Amino acid sequence: MKQEIKTISQNEMGIFVNKLIQNDHYEVVGVKSKGERFVFDELEDANELRLDYDVTILPPKKYFLPQYEKLMDFDLKKNFDVKTKFDNKPRIIIGVHPYDIVALTQTDRVYLDDQKDDFYKKRRENTIIIGIDIQKVSERSFSASLGTHITDTGFDLMLTNLGNKYAITIGSQKGKLLLNQNASTDEATDDEIKKIAKIHIELPSKYKKKLKVTDENELSSLLVANYENALWEERSDRCLECSSCTMVCPTCYCYDVKDEVSLNLEDGTRLRTWDGCLLRDFTKVGSGEVFRDEIKDRYRHRFFRKGNYLTQRYGFIACVGCGRCSTACLPDIADPCDVINELHSFGGKGNKDKFFLKQQIDFLEKGTIHVPRKATITRIEKLTDSETLYEIELDDKKPLGHKPGQFVELSLFGIGEAPFGISTGPSQNSKFELVVRKVGNLTSKLATLKVGDSVGIRGPLGNGFDVKSLEGKHLLFVSGGTGIIPMRSLIEYCLDKKNRDKFKYIKILYGAKRPCEVLFQKEINEWEKCLDVSCRLTVDTCSGGECWVGSVGLITTLFPKLKVERIDPKNTIAIVIGPPVMYKFVIKCLQTLGVPEKNILVSLERRMKCGVGKCGHCQINGIYVCREGPVFNYADIKGLPEAFE
Amino acid sequence: MKKPRVAFFDFASCEGCQLQIADLEEEILDLINIVDVVSFREVMKEHSDDYDIAIIEGSIMRPIDEGRLKEIRENAKILVALGACATIGGINKIRNQWTPSEVKKEVYGNYNLKGNDFFDVFQTKAVDEVVKVDYNIHGCPINRDEFKKVITSIAMGKNPEIPNYPVCVECKKNENICLFELGKFCLGPITRAGCNSICPTNGSPCDGCRGILKKPEVECINDILERYNLDYEEMKRRCNIYNYGKEVCK
Repeated sequence: MKQEIKTISQNEMGIFVNKLIQNDHYEVVGVKSKGERFVFDELEDANELRLDYDVTILPPKKYFLPQYEKLMDFDLKKNFDVKTKFDNKPRIIIGVHPYDIVALTQTDRVYLDDQKDDFYKKRRENTIIIGIDIQKVSERSFSASLGTHITDTGFDLMLTNLGNKYAITIGSQKGKLLLNQNASTDEATDDEIKKIAKIHIELPSKYKKKLKVTDENELSSLLVANYENALWEERSDRCLECSSCTMVCPTCYCYDVKDEVSLNLEDGTRLRTWDGCLLRDFTKVGSGEVFRDEIKDRYRHRFFRKGNYLTQRYGFIACVGCGRCSTACLPDIADPCDVINELHSFGGKGNKDKFFLKQQIDFLEKGTIHVPRKATITRIEKLTDSETLYEIELDDKKPLGHKPGQFVELSLFGIGEAPFGISTGPSQNSKFELVVRKVGNLTSKLATLKVGDSVGIRGPLGNGFDVKSLEGKHLLFVSGGTGIIPMRSLIEYCLDKKNRDKFKYIKILYGAKRPCEVLFQKEINEWEKCLDVSCRLTVDTCSGGECWVGSVGLITTLFPKLKVERIDPKNTIAIVIGPPVMYKFVIKCLQTLGVPEKNILVSLERRMKCGVGKCGHCQINGIYVCREGPVFNYADIKGLPEAFE
Repeated sequence: MKKPRVAFFDFASCEGCQLQIADLEEEILDLINIVDVVSFREVMKEHSDDYDIAIIEGSIMRPIDEGRLKEIRENAKILVALGACATIGGINKIRNQWTPSEVKKEVYGNYNLKGNDFFDVFQTKAVDEVVKVDYNIHGCPINRDEFKKVITSIAMGKNPEIPNYPVCVECKKNENICLFELGKFCLGPITRAGCNSICPTNGSPCDGCRGILKKPEVECINDILERYNLDYEEMKRRCNIYNYGKEVCK
């Protein structure tokens, strides 16, 4: 594509920048010095601009996904009072290097996908980017290896220092207009255009660091081949677990969300802040379980995200080679160039798709990724000592419209949000049920609410059961502990009079720790009355005083008993939901029974925070549980080392 | 809902953390709107032993402190340790490199202190070495915003979220130049965050007043010291300011 190119003298450039600064319409930021380093900061005068910089401490990401960002304000005095305010201030960023521009276009793919982040979108729309071709290559940068040292898209204007003047490549109408209105420029001559090309061609020779693998497919496959390489452990032994590498990264975008309430206990804010996958609590769920507990696994995760997980999902290497992580890492173990080159010396080719699952999902509610809908608790029933059932109705009285197996994010302002599997089957009724075990802050607060109180609901989210694929099959439900809660949504669907004919024999196995922890006993009694349905219950232990007529023993002890019953394993679909430790054992039992792997469906639990594949917390290797899951076909994910560890 | 009754107590400390609370200025009105302060020696003369939440400042140095603290624990539903002296022992623990009798001799010479309970000291302890602590408000001094967060959380019936990640996270968000690059030894990488990296942001290396989160491998420490041309002894001294007796590396 031929781009329009102008030139501007050094002096005129200063006048242009000052004109922008004096224009109250814009906030003008640019690269300034901070000691020996550089930062993007608000400009007061064109003289502060340091277009000769090597790299800034933080990338310009902070203007699109700020370190701390208000998602909404709420007023706890009022019932469900939420306000969202967007940052609409037009901003001009001067001096963005090409690799940072590429990083932004990568982030666009994530934040402007089918579930757009409105905060990010508004900021992107309101920002004009004036780039600058790299004049001084940063010591640790290897962006030339990745081709991100130059770019011909992603900017509104791009400056190239030609010595006595700047060339300005026009990248957008917005940029052109800004230039026409505020600067006097000349057309670039052929010689000057050639000079830009020469600068671009000569730039790679200025880099000290060079990657030995630059093709995204080759890198993707090299990583897979070396998943178990000793290097991850050797290097991560020295990791301080400070996550500085992710904090300074232009392509890292994971976040955490917290509610803060002022000392008057009335006004509160839901805040978003940068999170990092090197931090231990990153994968910690309400019950306290940490899913990527070992530093080796967290250390490896970062590289796999950059070179395999996101690469398979979006088609690009999610590293632009800026070198900020290497500079920030005190023990100097974070440098992607060093790690990739070391991997290259080991070689190997793996199946690059191994850790990723290609699956399209339809979101019912588009564009509601942060603000919950108002809903009301219509019934509360205490089921066991620790579990309580909440019947909830959206205030607009519309049905939730969920599939069995989907989940919602339940919001209590001032406390936060947590994911819950929907426990009732799809229906035209506007009410649905959640069953909640009291484990953390949100569930404890929920326990104090009464009928008529308001809660926030986002969703339905995630991938539910594909009920069509179950038709004409025998169904074997295997649930352990609280796994029965989301399981019930599918059982109810299958036993619904309208649907019952579509499925053959239904067997339900359910194991709880103790008799007093058995959920839905009433419903189970009803299910058993249906034609061609059998239920078998077991408890791990049963103390003397407890009344129990089912089996005693782990869920796996129910399987030998199944053998004697007539079963057609090839035509059976097994649906397994339970605590993480259960899957391995139950799947073995199913294999012994002769149920093919592709006939096994599971639903997994991780820290699902955003629910729309952005915040990064629920990731299992290359997949997001909140997006591709929580329901998975076992055959699709059995190769993921993080799925059933 | 009945407002929780709060009492402040001080042990070996400078009482500067309570001063941080007294310094809330007009916000103190919000504070007393959500809790009843029944004992706070720095700002009021009244005192009551009927309280729900006990906030303890200071380290435990003497048998008589231990008895008093245990009594407070019995009276309180929730016990909060306030500031580094209480949460980790802090600078009071520097004393632990000498025996109690050496310390007494150094300070009081040959003066006869026998039989005087006030001078009967043992090795410095943090509050959680004597009684169960429900929540820690770290720092020397504490961060007022964190105090507010903990108090509002307790008042709302939720567990306050205290960061489990190091100061570097906040320091990076604040876009500071890493102090190691400036040739200074900083404990930020292994110290609990929550202070919004106030010291590094103002050019002072982190002294670890919020407690050490991780003991890095010796090789890792050596690598870093070598890379930035820093001295092991200087590192040790810095670690000892607030974390005397804690191993800094494996």
